[in-house]
Amino acid sequence: MNVAWWCSSNPGQVWTWRYTPFVGVWLAAAALLGLYLGAHRRAGRPVDPRLLRRWVAGVAVMAVVSEWPLGALGAGYLATVGIGRYIALTFVVAPLLLSAIPTWLLDRWLPHGSARWTATRWLTRWPVALLVFNAVLFGTHLPVAIDTLKVYQVGSFAVDAAHLLAGLVWWFPAMRREADRGAIREPLRAFYLFASSILMFVPATFLAFSPLPLYGLYELAPPLWLGFDPVRDQQLAGVLMNVVGGLALWTVIAIGFMRWARAEERADLEARRAAGRSAAG
Amino acid sequence: MRRTGRTGRAALLVVAALVVAGCSTAPSSSTALSAQGLTQADDGWYGLPLTVERSLPDVTLTTTSGRPFRLDTELAGGPTLLFFGYSSCPDICPVHLASIASAMEQTRTRYDQVRVVFVSVDPARDTPERIDTFLDHFDDRMIGLHAALPVVEEALTQLDLPGPIVEGPDPRGEGDLIGHPAQVIGFDAEGRARRVWPFGTRRSDWVADLPRIVADWSA
Repeated sequence: MNVAWWCSSNPGQVWTWRYTPFVGVWLAAAALLGLYLGAHRRAGRPVDPRLLRRWVAGVAVMAVVSEWPLGALGAGYLATVGIGRYIALTFVVAPLLLSAIPTWLLDRWLPHGSARWTATRWLTRWPVALLVFNAVLFGTHLPVAIDTLKVYQVGSFAVDAAHLLAGLVWWFPAMRREADRGAIREPLRAFYLFASSILMFVPATFLAFSPLPLYGLYELAPPLWLGFDPVRDQQLAGVLMNVVGGLALWTVIAIGFMRWARAEERADLEARRAAGRSAAG
Repeated sequence: MRRTGRTGRAALLVVAALVVAGCSTAPSSSTALSAQGLTQADDGWYGLPLTVERSLPDVTLTTTSGRPFRLDTELAGGPTLLFFGYSSCPDICPVHLASIASAMEQTRTRYDQVRVVFVSVDPARDTPERIDTFLDHFDDRMIGLHAALPVVEEALTQLDLPGPIVEGPDPRGEGDLIGHPAQVIGFDAEGRARRVWPFGTRRSDWVADLPRIVADWSA
């Protein structure tokens, strides 16, 4: 039992709206950009501007949600911002980074037959990826996990890293096109994404409907304004996870499914035309 | 050569990750460390029992409407939760009061069943209007009291608690931060101090304890 008997300036990190830069975030962003551009230079390949834009966008979003004020607010003050950061890392940063990697670069980073390739191949099989993603989703949103890990800086970083890595693993089979790397196609892809969107409703519903604050971290944090209610914050976090997370996924599912349906329709039309031509011939 | 390049890249990433971890934003404060809340004792209470006998102090303070208010006589006859704090307090005071107000509402406990009393330890800044405005953020039925610092210190002394200490400038630029006891003290209808709730008490702890206060401590 950790309690405080003396109200002091030391116990709480009093929130101020004074900009506090996190140098590490900018160093990490620079390292990721350097990694991408350096790999192209070493391979003697030209940088595809379309893919570079995606990589830069992914890194930029990651930096924005990790930098002040969102990083600090999400790590220790507001559950809504914490969930917003989770959504950003999982549903924005991970797919942007993953879709920015050309096949030749993926082959370089995960060479066929290497241990990394084997591990990635196993982790990104769709049933395993689904399991990993949801285990991280549920595990890192349990009150005991938040109240144990996020009270330490390294723990907070570990949670962020787990969200990003689980996002990369989960999007891998749905986004990559390489069949030899376990890429899945419609309608399995739609089912795969839909299953996760449904499972996401579970923690989101707990957040939205719990009458008491679930996380001591956010409940006992210095309030940003007087009259701040951690239950309202938590409800908003649940709605955010449901609406924004669900909406993002269902948009991807709908777009993918419509593309697949159009391709199927075109293929069917082509087949009928070919059959008609051969019958006429 | 190529191996060296890969190792260098990996090292760079590790360093970057560690720097990010080092500069990460989670509060390393006792506010956060208190996140586990209190533990329920065998008797079902979350509030911690007092081992020494203490009573409501026999000091006279002033209500925000200017009426003299002697703690031991005015509060006799029903359970009381007493808290010493100040309206500029950035963390513990508003969190405590918000938790109590919300738990009172959730358990449908009336303020005439359990009186919630806030005594300012910052008479220089806490005018009656300011105390009222502060308490209105939680519940305007809470009783706000103030007095000259020696009177407040006398009340704290009678409860075996240390007096307030100026601890330095508030990072929000709102004057000084003041150190003061962080526990809420619970008194029964006869004015005896029965239990305390230090900071770290969660709303769920209050929801469990408030019905017991009404049931066991009322006259």
